[in-house]
Amino acid sequence: MGDVKCAFIVQKPQYKGETSRLAMTHALAYQTVEILLEDGDTVTPSLCFIGEGVLGITKGQKAMDIYGITSSESHLKNCLLVDLDVYVCKEDLDKFGISVDQLPDAEEMGAEKTINVVPFSEIAKKMDEAKHVLFF
Amino acid sequence: MSLGVFVSDYKLSSDTLERLDPGKTGVILVLNGVWHALLKESGKASSLLDRFSKVYALSEDIETRGMLPAQVDGRVKVVNYDGLVDVVFNEFEKIAWL
Amino acid sequence: MGAITMGVYPGLVGSASYDFAIKFAGAAAKKGHKVSMWFSGNATGSVKAHQKHLKDYSTGEKYLTELLAAGVEVCTCEACTVARGVQKTESIEKIQWNAMHWYLARIHSADRVLLIGGE
Repeated sequence: MGDVKCAFIVQKPQYKGETSRLAMTHALAYQTVEILLEDGDTVTPSLCFIGEGVLGITKGQKAMDIYGITSSESHLKNCLLVDLDVYVCKEDLDKFGISVDQLPDAEEMGAEKTINVVPFSEIAKKMDEAKHVLFF
Repeated sequence: MSLGVFVSDYKLSSDTLERLDPGKTGVILVLNGVWHALLKESGKASSLLDRFSKVYALSEDIETRGMLPAQVDGRVKVVNYDGLVDVVFNEFEKIAWL
Repeated sequence: MGAITMGVYPGLVGSASYDFAIKFAGAAAKKGHKVSMWFSGNATGSVKAHQKHLKDYSTGEKYLTELLAAGVEVCTCEACTVARGVQKTESIEKIQWNAMHWYLARIHSADRVLLIGGE
């Protein structure tokens, strides 16, 4: 069956609910899914943040210090480190007054990928291209 | 049609819904989403019914709320759980829950 | 017949989304479709056996046992489940325990995927 593309669309903010964080941890599992699949089969999620989903993914989070939980920033960096494609909606960043330089990268961890800030039309294209669309 | 979107709230999730291409998207109303098919708020039906041409509503969730399928807006097709399974497999290429 | 993989995240008590997931899975299985269910987040609390069915609250065990008997595959996220204090030895029989890659693997083989997110 080869590769199955999935669009993981995060539309809820981080931290109050669990669903938005689970988008990242589930996406990270793409690394190990091959142990349950036939040779050559893969699952490739694109992780996309839209609407209020762009809230809670900026740099400098202190969730571990304050609540003793892994920060969403840390999960996001791990996603970049394992070469996941991460997209953040530009219109929504603009709407909430979040600048691109507030978004984290994982360069210090050795990640080659960075967050792609794109118009919503690009994210809609990812949804069209995917076999399955999952809203978190 | 490409994407069938489950709407399970009356007010919530409209933000995302408004951004989806109505030419490629249909709507499946379940749980509190069925109010979109039933209410005429200030005399006006839900704008969702104007925007999307393919809309389904789950009869069990209509009846659970003390309403009748006969009260549903004429643009909405009412299905039961069995029918909903067919909608999911036959009417859309992919499905999503908002 | 097709295959559907359902991700279920809402809790058993406090959200009718869980009840919807169970009823929809049963309807799909009855029509001959292959149904795989992945429980994550608060839904994982529902895999604990010996639930008391009080009529004011939704119940999981009775319906999950019926789904399992009808051939529906149910798997709970081990990390989410133990984080809620439920151990494997306390689980409803025949529910599988695994990690998130189980869900992605079932997504790979599915014709349809329905992720019902938490509240």
